[in-house]
Amino acid sequence: MSVVDYTKELSVIEGKPPLRSLDDLISKPLETKPDKKFYIALSITLSMLGLFVIGLGLTFWYGIGMWGNNNPVGWAFDIVNFVFWVGIGHAGTLISAILFLFRQKWRTGIARFAEGMTIFAVMTAMLFPLIHVGRPWLDGWLLPYPNQHGIWTNFTSPLLWDVFAVSTYFTVSLIFWYVGLIPDFAVLRERTSGKVKKLTYSIFSLGWRFSNRHWNHYEMVYLILAGFATPLVLSVHTIVSFDFAVSIMPGWHTTIFPPYFVAGAVFSGFAMVQNVLLIIRKIFNYEHIITVDTLDKMNKIMLVTGSMVGYAYAMEFFIAWYSGVEAEQFTFVNRAFGPYAWAYWIMVSCNVISPQLFWIKKIRRSVPVMFVIAVFVNVGMWFERFVIVVSSLSRDYLPSSWAYYKPTYVDFMILIGSFGFFFTFILLFTKALPVVSLAEVKAVVDGAQPSHKDH
Amino acid sequence: MSSIHNAEYQKRELPKKIQTIGLILFGVGLLAVILGYVQDSTRAAFNNIILYVFLASIGLGSLFLVAVEYLSGAVWSTPFRRIPEFLSALLIVLPFVLIPVFSNMSHIFHWMHPEVVSADKILQSKAPYLNSTFFIIRTAAFIFLWLVFYFFIIKNSKKQDASGDQSLTKKNIKISAVFMPVFAITISFTAIDWLMSLEPHWFSTILGVYYFSGSVLAGLAAATIIIVMLNENGYLVNGLNSNHYYSLGALLFAFTNFWAYIAFSQFMLIWYANLPEETFWFLQRWEGTWIIFTIGLIFVRFVIPYFGLLSQPSKMNPKRLLVMSCWILFAHWYDMYWLAMPNYSKDGVLFGWIELGFVLFAIGLVMLLFNQLAKKNNLVAIKDPKLQRGIDFRL
Amino acid sequence: MSEKILYGYTGLFDSPDSITHAAEKAASKGYKKFDVHTPYPLHGMNKAMKLPTSKLGYVSLVVGLSSALAAVLAMFWISAKDYPIVIGGKPLFSFPAYVPVIFEVTVLSASIATVLTMLLIFFKLPNNGHPLHGTEYMKNVAVDKYGILIQAEDEKFNEADVKKFLEECGAVNISPVYFDEEEINHKHKILEPKFIGFLLLTALFTSGISYLTLNKLLYLPPFDWMMEQEKLNPQSTSTIFADGFGMRKPVEGTVARGYLPYAFKGQPEAAGENLVNPLPVSKSVLELGQKKFDVYCSPCHGYHGEGESRLRGQFPNPPSLHSEKVRTWSDGRIFHVITDGQNIMPSYSTQLTAEEKWAAVHYIRVLQRALNAKESDLQ
Repeated sequence: MSVVDYTKELSVIEGKPPLRSLDDLISKPLETKPDKKFYIALSITLSMLGLFVIGLGLTFWYGIGMWGNNNPVGWAFDIVNFVFWVGIGHAGTLISAILFLFRQKWRTGIARFAEGMTIFAVMTAMLFPLIHVGRPWLDGWLLPYPNQHGIWTNFTSPLLWDVFAVSTYFTVSLIFWYVGLIPDFAVLRERTSGKVKKLTYSIFSLGWRFSNRHWNHYEMVYLILAGFATPLVLSVHTIVSFDFAVSIMPGWHTTIFPPYFVAGAVFSGFAMVQNVLLIIRKIFNYEHIITVDTLDKMNKIMLVTGSMVGYAYAMEFFIAWYSGVEAEQFTFVNRAFGPYAWAYWIMVSCNVISPQLFWIKKIRRSVPVMFVIAVFVNVGMWFERFVIVVSSLSRDYLPSSWAYYKPTYVDFMILIGSFGFFFTFILLFTKALPVVSLAEVKAVVDGAQPSHKDH
Repeated sequence: MSSIHNAEYQKRELPKKIQTIGLILFGVGLLAVILGYVQDSTRAAFNNIILYVFLASIGLGSLFLVAVEYLSGAVWSTPFRRIPEFLSALLIVLPFVLIPVFSNMSHIFHWMHPEVVSADKILQSKAPYLNSTFFIIRTAAFIFLWLVFYFFIIKNSKKQDASGDQSLTKKNIKISAVFMPVFAITISFTAIDWLMSLEPHWFSTILGVYYFSGSVLAGLAAATIIIVMLNENGYLVNGLNSNHYYSLGALLFAFTNFWAYIAFSQFMLIWYANLPEETFWFLQRWEGTWIIFTIGLIFVRFVIPYFGLLSQPSKMNPKRLLVMSCWILFAHWYDMYWLAMPNYSKDGVLFGWIELGFVLFAIGLVMLLFNQLAKKNNLVAIKDPKLQRGIDFRL
Repeated sequence: MSEKILYGYTGLFDSPDSITHAAEKAASKGYKKFDVHTPYPLHGMNKAMKLPTSKLGYVSLVVGLSSALAAVLAMFWISAKDYPIVIGGKPLFSFPAYVPVIFEVTVLSASIATVLTMLLIFFKLPNNGHPLHGTEYMKNVAVDKYGILIQAEDEKFNEADVKKFLEECGAVNISPVYFDEEEINHKHKILEPKFIGFLLLTALFTSGISYLTLNKLLYLPPFDWMMEQEKLNPQSTSTIFADGFGMRKPVEGTVARGYLPYAFKGQPEAAGENLVNPLPVSKSVLELGQKKFDVYCSPCHGYHGEGESRLRGQFPNPPSLHSEKVRTWSDGRIFHVITDGQNIMPSYSTQLTAEEKWAAVHYIRVLQRALNAKESDLQ
């Protein structure tokens, strides 16, 4: 057992590499032609995207009757996918904003990438409310704007809050991301010699000059944005949970939903970040930037959030019994032992049991094992939303209307296609922008900061 | 660098007046408590519950902070980790605080009356959980568990003062990791047992988290008050500065927001769904003068600390930090009062010498306890391996 | 070549410590217009350069609070004043339900405002024409060197002194930076045709998009209380059916309820013998009969069945129903006349159902009996 020396800070970046080599390494994917592996990956994601397009085409042409939704299950894959993808986005903001506020330096290696994932995940998520209305060209009606009828949107509706929350989340994440990218664009501008590239980078870098008179304000704005993004990320999944919890549906109306949803979102988001990161790290040789220590810490966060989710499951179950309300009690028994018991037990074993393996240090530091567990967590979190939505709806207050929900092939096309949509963006992102923040990584290399000897 | 650079710490006696004031407050408080029980035992017992959840908050919240420091590897709080360690010693007094409550239990919990339960179907269905035997077993088991963790963590920390052995830090990290799930479960069920079951028909899944958010705030605020006072008068190690204050202030600010978030979520969902089996609890707190008290809670617990700690300089200013921590601690008592008291005094807010007595008792108890521990132990974990890094901490 | 205009002097350093010292010295020497360029923000540099704390927090605070207030007011006006609708039994102004939107609006506007203020007002970006761009100095500080720049504009600037100062600090690559000539001579002309064209195109594009979105894509037809409906009125034409008629004939071989085909067409005697009135004599049947009689029979036969209508005196005279012949007819015989018609009386099959006809027959019997009552009726 290696003994950790607690008197010294652990290096975030292994081996004190020269700063110039970091630039070279990180901008390499942007300066070289994509290789075969990239094209193979892209063709896979594009085929999945093709399925998405076909699925959506069928939906728009024939209507959402193509889906398996039917009385009493009026909400199914559409909202499940929406909540799942919004949740994936939360890890990015958590890494870039909350860990920034907590001064966790290990975040620097993964922050940019996770932020990128946030944006793509929120884009994917935003599609679902837009398509589930059936007439996507009328989505503008979701916004309150003065119109011919003199009617307004309903500000007490959680679905309207979703519109505000998700669009704000997307915009602020994009701004946050772009502000972080400005100095990196300037680095690329200085590196490149190609005329078109230089022009592009000049435009996006806005003529950034690395001035300390700018860094002064820049750091303040970064802090403020992190301060905004932190409650924002909480609010987004809180509002998503309100979609369910403000109703009086048994199994949906429970006061722990807001923090429980946020914990679940962070949980699944970290799993997705972990999955994609492990691949990126391997392909682009970032092992010493995204170190095993970093992965270890991410696994610990998964363990914590996974246990929080487990706590919420247990608390819901206990209070359902404790409340003495018959409908509540039935819902939870039905979840665990009813027709959707298979989904419930997939959820419990993937979300609660599998991350408990992270108590063991060896597993926390083993790349293949953590990859598998992260996949389990993603599956489990998808099923969590499925269980919440479908099991409650399929057996509600009126036993005569109970029915078993079955998704159709179009539902599956859209589900698989959404992954294609997301991963296509991720792949293009790795080739178009530096997936690790140059300025931030340089700042945490050992010896990059002045020693405070004179103070 | 490898050898531990001993920080410049000179142990100094705390001023005598702390003990004197502590004794006076404790004595006056104790007298009021006894007289209170003589005059109106139910009312006193309700106050006793508030006292219990309040002290448990500070003790547990402090132990939680100590454990989180070990787990997260944070260094900035190491130079003053002893303060929350001392405060968590409050867990030891919890059983004594509970003695008078246990002799008056049936006045407080109406699910303890067999005739009430036999006439109430819902209470009957809860009886496997809400019965006196199981209740007492639970409370005892929880306090026992807390004390086990308290003794192990504190013992290792004190041992390190002598040996400086790094493996003790590692040991404490492991203990803290095990403590976390135990803490989460016990604190939730403490909230359910002592606050939710006062109104046994009411239920809310978030109440455990609500009590947790308040507890962390209480522990943090109590620790901050002592840290600022000690450090400004030079009782702690040299080199603590605005960076450390800022971190404390930022945590206070963050948890103030977290509490508001949890409290709002609970209110919002109950208000919106409008189910009678849930709303009646809030409606009780909307009766008579309670309405003022309830609206006041928003300001006392959220708005004032929020704006008090919003700006960067205010988190670094020791005076502001001190005032706001005192306020937050008061707000926590206010909150606990709001949770418990409307079950006793249905018509309106009730405040008299009994209530004041319990408050004085609590303050005096904390002062005496702290003074006693400070006499015997170092105020700084002088050989903690993270100490120097903690002193050098810059934002 | 015309004389170059000096922008300032730059020097490079290798370590974060040395640049911090240089910045401290420059600040204490009284230079005001100097700057430090580093690939990433250095801790303690603000203090070394004696920079004040950024005031951008106030922008967030002011914009955030005012947009929160604006959101409350807007929702109050919309939900309680302009379009008051009670939803879910909640008050028109439901503050708790507005908190999510208030929060989102606050965060959104404060973030955008803070970032834009920083970039556009504080930094005056975008600025790709700055003299430092395109220099070796910039290439170095972008990667791994730490540079200091002392501007020629500074009051204390003196070429020789500055050079010496930089050397003393230990800087390498000390070099002057000049303004870009093209950049100085370049004048932005607002009335440049290209620029005006660009503005026009932008205006056209945005207005076109807004018009199409609001009036075509998201068009809400004005509400007319269903005065216009997407349905066919009687006798109107239709493009759906090949024959162009909006009204349709019943499907062949089907029979509408109450309109069974009549079996005794042209056989009055057979009808009289075989048909029996299926209806009992009851108040409701007689009332129905009276109603139908008054509507369909009375125009010719008169309200009392005596032929006393306004057609009396014309040819042929409407016959009385009280004649011996009619009185002795069986119910079925009368039914046959109504169904099949007689002389110039047409068939009433399309107007009356079988039931209504039988009811009318009963009513005719009432009329007959009223005029020619039996002795027993009077008792």
